[in-house]
Amino acid sequence: MMKRLQNLKFHTWGIAGGVLLAALALGLGIRLASAGRLTVQEAQISPLHPTFALLDTDGANVLESGSPVSTMKTCGKCHDTAFIASHSFHVDLGMSDIQAGNSDAGRWDPLTYRYLLPPAGSRSGAADWLRQNTDRVVGGGPGAVAQLVEMDCFLCHTPNPNNAARVEALAAGEFGMANTATLFGTGIVAVGEDGMLAWNTAAFDADGELLADYVAIQAPANDNCAQCHGLVHTGSDPLVVTSCSLDNPQTAVTGQVISGDKISESGVNLSGKSALARPWDIHAERGLACVDCHYSLNNPIAYQESAATKPEGLVFDPRRLDFGEYLKYPDHNFARGESAQYNVAPELKGTMRRCESCHDAQAIHADWLPYIDTHMSTVACETCHIPQMYAPAIQAYDWTVLTLDDTAASSCRGVEGIGGSVTDLVTGFQPVLMMRKNVDGDTLIAPYNLITTWYWIYDDAQGNTRPVRLVDLEAVYFAGGQYASKIMDAFDYDGDGALSETELRIDTADKQALIAARLAALGLGNPRIVGEIQPYSINHNVAGAGYAISACRACHADGSRLSQSMQLADYVPGGVTPEFVDDTNVTASGTVYQSGAALYYQPDPAADKLYIFGYSRYGWVDWLGGLFFLGTLVGVVGHGTLRYILARRRGKPTVETKPVYMYEAYERFWHWLQTSAIVVLLLTGLIIHRPDLFGGLSFRGLVVIHNVLAALLAINALLSIFWHFISGEIQQYIPHPYGFIDQAIVQAKYYIQGVFRHEPHPFNKTKDRKFNPLQKITYLGLLAVLFPLQGITGILMWGAQQWPQYAKFLGGLPVLAAFHTLVAWLFATFIIGHVYLTTTGGPKALDSIKAMVTGWEDVEVHEAVETPQKKK
Amino acid sequence: MRKIKPFWIVGAVGILLVLVVPIVYFWPRPVEAKTQDPWSFVPAHATHTDHANIVSGEFATGSDVTRACLDCHAEAADQVMHTTHFTWQSEPFTVPGRDGPVTIGKANQINNFCISAQGNQKRCMTCHAGYNWQEDQPYDFSNPENVDCLVCHADTNLYAKGSYGDPAEGVDLLAAARSVRAPNRENCGSCHFNGGGGDNVKHGDLAQGLNFPPSDLDVHMGANDFVCTDCHTTSDHNIKGRLVADNYVVDPKEQVACTDCHAANLHADERINAHVQTVACQTCHVPAVALDEPTKVSWDWSTAGQDLPEDHFTYLRIKGTFVYEKNVVPQYLWYNGSLSYRYLLGDKIDPNGVTVMDMPAGNIEDPTAKIFPFKLHVAMQPYDTVNNYLLAPITAGDGGYWTTFDWNSAFTLAEPITGLDYSGQYGFAETWMYWPSTHMVQPAASALQCNDCHSADGRIDWKALGYPGDPMVWGGRFQRK
Repeated sequence: MMKRLQNLKFHTWGIAGGVLLAALALGLGIRLASAGRLTVQEAQISPLHPTFALLDTDGANVLESGSPVSTMKTCGKCHDTAFIASHSFHVDLGMSDIQAGNSDAGRWDPLTYRYLLPPAGSRSGAADWLRQNTDRVVGGGPGAVAQLVEMDCFLCHTPNPNNAARVEALAAGEFGMANTATLFGTGIVAVGEDGMLAWNTAAFDADGELLADYVAIQAPANDNCAQCHGLVHTGSDPLVVTSCSLDNPQTAVTGQVISGDKISESGVNLSGKSALARPWDIHAERGLACVDCHYSLNNPIAYQESAATKPEGLVFDPRRLDFGEYLKYPDHNFARGESAQYNVAPELKGTMRRCESCHDAQAIHADWLPYIDTHMSTVACETCHIPQMYAPAIQAYDWTVLTLDDTAASSCRGVEGIGGSVTDLVTGFQPVLMMRKNVDGDTLIAPYNLITTWYWIYDDAQGNTRPVRLVDLEAVYFAGGQYASKIMDAFDYDGDGALSETELRIDTADKQALIAARLAALGLGNPRIVGEIQPYSINHNVAGAGYAISACRACHADGSRLSQSMQLADYVPGGVTPEFVDDTNVTASGTVYQSGAALYYQPDPAADKLYIFGYSRYGWVDWLGGLFFLGTLVGVVGHGTLRYILARRRGKPTVETKPVYMYEAYERFWHWLQTSAIVVLLLTGLIIHRPDLFGGLSFRGLVVIHNVLAALLAINALLSIFWHFISGEIQQYIPHPYGFIDQAIVQAKYYIQGVFRHEPHPFNKTKDRKFNPLQKITYLGLLAVLFPLQGITGILMWGAQQWPQYAKFLGGLPVLAAFHTLVAWLFATFIIGHVYLTTTGGPKALDSIKAMVTGWEDVEVHEAVETPQKKK
Repeated sequence: MRKIKPFWIVGAVGILLVLVVPIVYFWPRPVEAKTQDPWSFVPAHATHTDHANIVSGEFATGSDVTRACLDCHAEAADQVMHTTHFTWQSEPFTVPGRDGPVTIGKANQINNFCISAQGNQKRCMTCHAGYNWQEDQPYDFSNPENVDCLVCHADTNLYAKGSYGDPAEGVDLLAAARSVRAPNRENCGSCHFNGGGGDNVKHGDLAQGLNFPPSDLDVHMGANDFVCTDCHTTSDHNIKGRLVADNYVVDPKEQVACTDCHAANLHADERINAHVQTVACQTCHVPAVALDEPTKVSWDWSTAGQDLPEDHFTYLRIKGTFVYEKNVVPQYLWYNGSLSYRYLLGDKIDPNGVTVMDMPAGNIEDPTAKIFPFKLHVAMQPYDTVNNYLLAPITAGDGGYWTTFDWNSAFTLAEPITGLDYSGQYGFAETWMYWPSTHMVQPAASALQCNDCHSADGRIDWKALGYPGDPMVWGGRFQRK
């Protein structure tokens, strides 16, 4: 019984953990040695892809013919390979654009120092071209290359393609072998001892079809893309970066690394690494693959209609290609972003899934970011979410000289050390922010790396300007594999027989003249140095919220992120200031300047018509406003000092006074509320205007105080206007045109002369007639002009969050903010004058202020110049 | 006039209120402060009374000390005697599939390390919170003087245990008794960090490094200098916190949980919070164990007794072949806090298969179960090839295997002690034992992130857990895609 029950028990728990145990029990034998580790998922075998025969170009099974495999024939059994090859910018490489004359005669690429020319139409021309461009070609084109090598499906659709073997085959001119070489190492095919292809018959079934275990066809994984594009890292070994190596072009030109690993756990000798517990790229960490955003444009799962053509109100259009149709005709033009370069397939720019295709930026930032619309319509997501690059990137390529290994003198940003070593200290770099014009017409600030190149050009016999060919440059610099003696004489300052990094640069007129002369001696007309700056857009290595820029001060302060300069080069070859290439979607509105030997680019947000609170200001506004303010201050101090001295000389005035209930409670409340609000508004406004002068205060908090008080001030003003109308007090502010100027002169004279002599005030102050003519005109100006101006400009600046069109109508923030600042200065000026003049109101200096507190004022009893108005 | 003065003060206050109240109302607040302050749940450490001037007397035996303790702490021994630290055995409980109530503990059951304490009291009792438990005589569990107060309360530099749990040779009992205070990490660690017979051998997440832990070894004990009893809170000498291995079913009230102090949904990231109902905190926050010292991941008893080169980490003649590993990535299993099976002496095994000594309970259908990390220890241990049950040899005891290197005598000697017949035929069978990984907790910066599990080379075998595939793309058990 006991046993039976126990067996039953086994049975029960066996079922409970059954699935688990079955899986665990599989690899029992090796488990002890490997310490009971579960085997990780087996290398992915395609769940659905059928087995197939590998066919050669004649359509015969390679097992029979022993020939290399033909992808067009093999894959073409089911997929329309001709369609694919003709719908793939990876195949075309943008060359059809060049041939169609849409681009100049092939772009000059100063990094690789060659023209991106299309291959010649002839077979031999195409072969030369192909041998030179092995690692950039997937086959099937461009142009005549199609006759030499077929599009290599395996390179992107198998998990472990042997790209090295493929490139080697292409470089050796064994074009027909290249695609087959991609399968070396998979167990399907190898080169036999006789040097002939050896197809592994064990990998095929009796019908000559690949066994299912060898059919590892997949959608392109990140590693596939990485083969040509840049550094991608998966797996548990620590990530290392080879600085600025063009083997990883994307990483070299931008510092972008696609990996979900935490930066802190990488093998990069990165300064401050331990604090960077964030992944290199949050999308890689969260399981996104390259093709999730850069999808095939007719992929029925991924395809999304662009917002531009989609009817408004249509969220999703479910009419899609049938899966079978898609698998037969998969468009191999992939959705792409808006890189700065012309690049291939420019007509597809902006087709990819961008940040806003998946993220609702408005909703995400709603609970903390003010001016969401302004931020979103001005600042690309990348600007804040790619705050820093943590891998080095190329800074400059100087082809005006040649190093002994036949390449340019180059420099790398974001790294210190000898270069190219894993022990170099990587510091990373902050991208420079520039204006990008999107295909949809939006203009956004986005992050870039700037690469500056210098090289020699000359005028050829036809009068065309061309870069000096590498062979000519070699002839100028080298003799017998070493630097020519003339070169050594001119460059080798320390005479150690070698050219150091600092010696091998054209930094004197003599050196420049020498090289120019040697180039001219080769028959090159007018050889001279040119320099160009190419921006490279940075869109990957996105950081999540915790590591993105979120402090207002990062941008809204002196030294704003938007104005941060970027070093272009350590020195300026031949003193030639480089220019930005002009065929990009990036506006370089800043300035290129030299500081010491080094060259910098300094962005200028003002030139991009950006007004950034806390950073932007117009000098003249502050000078003018300050002048008003200080002038008034000097005036009242002088006036007051004089009064004080004279008063001491003359003794106390003997004026008869009587107490009068001058100010109603509401008037006083209204006045002091206004006073407090204005003073705090001025102070907070000043801090918002110049946060650099007031460290440690919360920019955000100050803006909140400023906005709240402005609203209170407006409400208070409206209520008091209402009160003034109801009570009729408004009349006191209206100057009577008749005799006004005379009266004003009388009052002015009083301030200039009478007040010093303790003369009585020219106008009687009564409850119904509190203001003298000058006060009337001043207050009217204040209430009718300054208040509304400040209110309207302020509301529009605040309202730019909700209704930017109104702000825009009046010139946008650049105009409104300048005006608002100027009027603020006038308010401050008014306060100085106003407070001072209160001291002239009564016999004692503080009488008027006291009156505004208590309501009771001691007024002089004397004959009035003007008959007092009748009491109501 | 006199009445006016206070009135304008009222006005000034009014103005101030009108200005300040709206500002306070609109002041930017941090987004939903969801987190509770975990520190508010951490017990304050009372200053312990210095016993240096209180304890006096001549102590010849440990029990002499205990008697002295009981003079003042009269009920202490009785409390200890009801805990498993002293009984080495659980209360009897009924388990589905078994005839009667069962008890589990070192006193009567086996593991797949040194196998059995029974008959090996001479060595094993160095970790018993009592004195003088010998294999050949019945132990008096009701004698308060058998309780060892010092092992938990004395300065570990002044006290150590030796054979049968008695004080080690040369211990100055008076000095040890005068040093008593609340237990610190070293007291608990003197046994728990050495489980399996050495530093970090058994658990993987409990190592001597935790005596003076660097901040990256454990966020609580290292970065924040916790002692064990800060989480394993104690009342009447009953210490909270137990997991599987030596228990069958654990009352949740007895368990220490991260949520005792931390809010479960404290993550800023919605996606991570959504994990909490399926993934235990430990799964992400204990990404690996054996961070400083390697832990034993396999033990093959079948090679013992041979004349091979000896090394603590690879082979010992008395024990056989081992594999130690550092930075051990745990196994991930469903776990609801109990076991679905615990091997009890006499249970039949399938010698050709794997015998899991302690199978964590739970599966994908069990909403109370979460994915939990376990260190797996794999052993080849002796079994009776006729009776098909695991054998508990006498090893450390007199005439045991470690002296004679004769398995047959080791099993025969054990017969009267364990009550299990030995047929005379033995072999070695594979057994697995799961050890929950719950210490060596890492803060967010070092915790797992999405791609550690959700990627082609991720560390979780989704199908083994009962998922059709990675729930990131297939949907989770609570949210279907």
